[in-house]
Amino acid sequence: MATAELVLGLLSGGPAHGYDVKRGHDAWFPDSRPLAFGQVYTTLGRLERDGLVEVVDKTSGGGPDRTVYALTSKGRDHLTDWLNDPVPPAWGSADEVLRKLVAAVRTGGDAAGFLARQRANHLRRIRELRETPADDDPTSPLVREYIVAHLDADLRWLDTALDRISEQRGTRS
Amino acid sequence: MSGSQAVLELDRVEYSYRRNTALRGVSLQLKPGEVVAVTGASGCGKSTLLHCAAGILTPDAGTIQVDGQDVAALREEERARLRRTKVGIVLQFGQLVPDLPLIDNVALPLLLDGHERGEAHLSAMNWLEQVGIADDADAVPTELSGGQTQRAAVARALVTGPSVVLADEPTGSLDSQGGQELLDVLLQAARYRGAALLMVTHDNLVASSADREIRLRDGLIQHEVSL
Ligand SMILES: Nc1ncnc2c1ncn2[C@@H]1O[C@H](COP(=O)(O)OP(=O)(O)OP(=O)(O)O)[C@@H](O)[C@H]1O
Ligand SMILES: [Mg+2]
Repeated sequence: MATAELVLGLLSGGPAHGYDVKRGHDAWFPDSRPLAFGQVYTTLGRLERDGLVEVVDKTSGGGPDRTVYALTSKGRDHLTDWLNDPVPPAWGSADEVLRKLVAAVRTGGDAAGFLARQRANHLRRIRELRETPADDDPTSPLVREYIVAHLDADLRWLDTALDRISEQRGTRS
Repeated sequence: MSGSQAVLELDRVEYSYRRNTALRGVSLQLKPGEVVAVTGASGCGKSTLLHCAAGILTPDAGTIQVDGQDVAALREEERARLRRTKVGIVLQFGQLVPDLPLIDNVALPLLLDGHERGEAHLSAMNWLEQVGIADDADAVPTELSGGQTQRAAVARALVTGPSVVLADEPTGSLDSQGGQELLDVLLQAARYRGAALLMVTHDNLVASSADREIRLRDGLIQHEVSL
């Protein structure tokens, strides 16, 4: 699940409280369900256990919301790998692609490189589906055509996103 | 980079129209049998790239090699001959002779190359069959739909057995079924005859059949990915 990686992304700008992480997430994804506090703290706890984040400050007497977390170098490597890695094209994979893209842009990652690799992944999947030989199952072509149509729509969006990101890069530099 | 294996090689090609710079240094290589899709937004330079590769436009800078021969170094007749025999071209907008029957349109490159008329017509007929318009052999292009014209253009591009096939939106005027059929004819030229196929396309389904995608943006290669 991407929440862990998003939390790493949200910490990539510098150490923060769980509360800041939640606020940051909701600002990155204003149209999706707000991140619950409970989920933030369990996620941070798991990330700490795995050595991806560390506690850098604990205001005395404070509860969990007073704890300041920071990315470890292992956590930063994990985040970079996640941002670079295209998503396996499947049902609903566009959501995950969007999460990565937003996180890559927000954290200064290689968004264009990611989008190029994602395009390749999608195009390959379309070819596989179109090369699948016909069988006796009457519903399998229906299902395949449905998936191809959705991957095609994703690709058109990836294309627009690539252009937009290049434009933004162009105007910023 | 050794270009020994490449059948088409562009090296830092630049091209400007009077007011517009269309290519700002594009390099690419195609090996025999390779299929490459050129994608990118409208106006990014795809057709210009294809026209340079085809020798229709002469680059302002950079070199183009076909079958190891530097196109610019050839004399005009040699260049025309190379283009006629080694390169098959399917253009985005009509390239058939308007009032010439399809069979003659398709046979034309062979006739220009000195083939005997009967033999040229036989080959042309064979290709018209492969692209699914044998019944229209005697019709002239002005009587045909965009899709039929496109099929004829593919037949004409392949009739000489070229080692490089350049196609600009080859399926743009066809529905998905017809587009797939025509794409298959082009792909077979690559897969079975070893032609290098460079095709410009907006269609992701067409691009998905390529070995590589080259995406242009503003006259430059934005990315190149293996598929
Ligand atoms: N004959 C011409 N005279 C002047 N400018 C031109 C000419 N042909 C193209 N251009 C310009 O050169 C640039 C590249 O055009 P090109 O036709 O190569 O784009 P394209 O990628 O093929 O676009 P499309 O997807 O719309 O076919 C554009 O800015 C275009 O306006
Ligand atoms: Mg064009």
